[in-house]
Amino acid sequence: MLLGAWNIFKANWQVILFEYTLKTLLLAAIAVILGTVIGALLSMANMSKIKPLKWIVTAFIEFVRGTPALLQVYVIYFGLPMIFPRINRMDPMISAFICAAVALTINSAAYVSEIIRSGIEAVDKGQTEAARSLGLNGTTTMIQIVLPQAIKNILPALGNEFITVVKETSLAATFFAGELMTFYKEYVGFTHDALPAFIVVGVVYFALNFILSKGLKFVERRMKAHA
Amino acid sequence: MLDIKNIYKNFGDLKVLEGVSTQISEGEVVAIIGASGSGKSTLLRCMNLLETPTFGEVWMDGKLLTPVDPYLHPEVIMASNTYKKLTASGMSSEAAIAKIKSEDLINEKFSVSEGKEYRTALKKIYDENHIDINLARQDMGMVFQQFNLFNNKSVLENVTLAPMKTRAKQMIKEGKSKKEVKEYFNGKAMALLNRIGLEDKANAYPSTLSGGQKQRIAIVRALAMEPKVMLFDEPTSALDPEMVGEVLDVMKGLAKDGMTMICVTHEMGFAREVADRVLFMHDGVIAESGTPDEIFNNPKHPKLQQFLSCVL
Repeated sequence: MLLGAWNIFKANWQVILFEYTLKTLLLAAIAVILGTVIGALLSMANMSKIKPLKWIVTAFIEFVRGTPALLQVYVIYFGLPMIFPRINRMDPMISAFICAAVALTINSAAYVSEIIRSGIEAVDKGQTEAARSLGLNGTTTMIQIVLPQAIKNILPALGNEFITVVKETSLAATFFAGELMTFYKEYVGFTHDALPAFIVVGVVYFALNFILSKGLKFVERRMKAHA
Repeated sequence: MLDIKNIYKNFGDLKVLEGVSTQISEGEVVAIIGASGSGKSTLLRCMNLLETPTFGEVWMDGKLLTPVDPYLHPEVIMASNTYKKLTASGMSSEAAIAKIKSEDLINEKFSVSEGKEYRTALKKIYDENHIDINLARQDMGMVFQQFNLFNNKSVLENVTLAPMKTRAKQMIKEGKSKKEVKEYFNGKAMALLNRIGLEDKANAYPSTLSGGQKQRIAIVRALAMEPKVMLFDEPTSALDPEMVGEVLDVMKGLAKDGMTMICVTHEMGFAREVADRVLFMHDGVIAESGTPDEIFNNPKHPKLQQFLSCVL
């Protein structure tokens, strides 16, 4: 069986690495980067004093947290073309990729916003009070005192979220978006030999996340050294 | 210099302060004592608006720090719709004002046009007297029980951060270079650290310091803004006993230099020795106030007698 897996890899390594894996990485990068940016904005909105804004963000986060990511991919895949009919006229693989990217971005934005919010709230209130008591305004206090300390709380959880996103890109295979799991589906479609293909895909996912997690540990250590 | 006018503070249903008024003059050292839960820390935090009073006003050097409390201004009450209704029904002016004050009637709902005169009166007082709270806080140093040194900054950065962020811009505008300004504030900070004998810790981070060192640096950090008044919120309560002395010594030095100080404290020895006036708080009001001699040697309020017999 392992030999079977090796043979699959040997025969297909170029497409696996340079097409499917690359698309997985692209999908994850889009979701992580946009998700972090949108998540940061959402966390600001969630902590703002404007109540309606807070309610909307909270409702959104609860929806994302309370429903399976697969369902969210479905909703976007069938819902997005209703808003942008052009998507239906695209190449099916590209349209599936776009929908998956949007769905995963929305999903990770919700989780990232919660990570950032809790990281900021975990900073001792006394730090803010001390800064404000010296006459510093809210923005300066945030930039100089709160955020630098919050990032240390946020970073490990954010790393976990990145790894989760890489794994969740596999949901995009439901609609054959062309990422790593799609390789498995296509391969099994031809050969009906599931297990070796599983092993190939699994090893690649594992390797990606292993490298990612080591990299994040390295960054964390550096941040601690500069504290 | 500080004028506290009829401060009330509620946290939800919990009434912490129930009408506190006092004036603090320049150079005065005031100690606030009382059992825990009596509202003394809340009173102190209301002075620089870390807590916003529910009612009442705080004035510093003739400038209003809080929002306007309509009940403290007869002209505002008289501009209100409620007042007009009451006097129209034949009530005398004094009786109407008294009724509005005692029954908290000014928040009665009225339409936009009806409330216009009232809001104009409020706004007039606000516009004439109000000062931006960030500006006011630059003149009021505060020292906390838990020190609250900035964990992500070195000792020197802790001391120079606020002056740099609030004063540097003006100095650069006046033609000084960025480097000159930085050196100026660093020099001042080092002089202050030198005064408390901690100049060798300038580049250390707060996590490496003892409690006593942290608190002395916290005092210096507040002094770097050259405040007109210093607020101390139980500055020695979180310290190990052997470190209380070094912090009190710094505070005594400040008092001797003529700094206006308001100090919530459990150190009765300090209150007796250094304070010009002692306020005893009980159940959200100042139950008794007087010189240390009056308070400690001749207490009148039964709760104060009870309190002193417990702590002395």
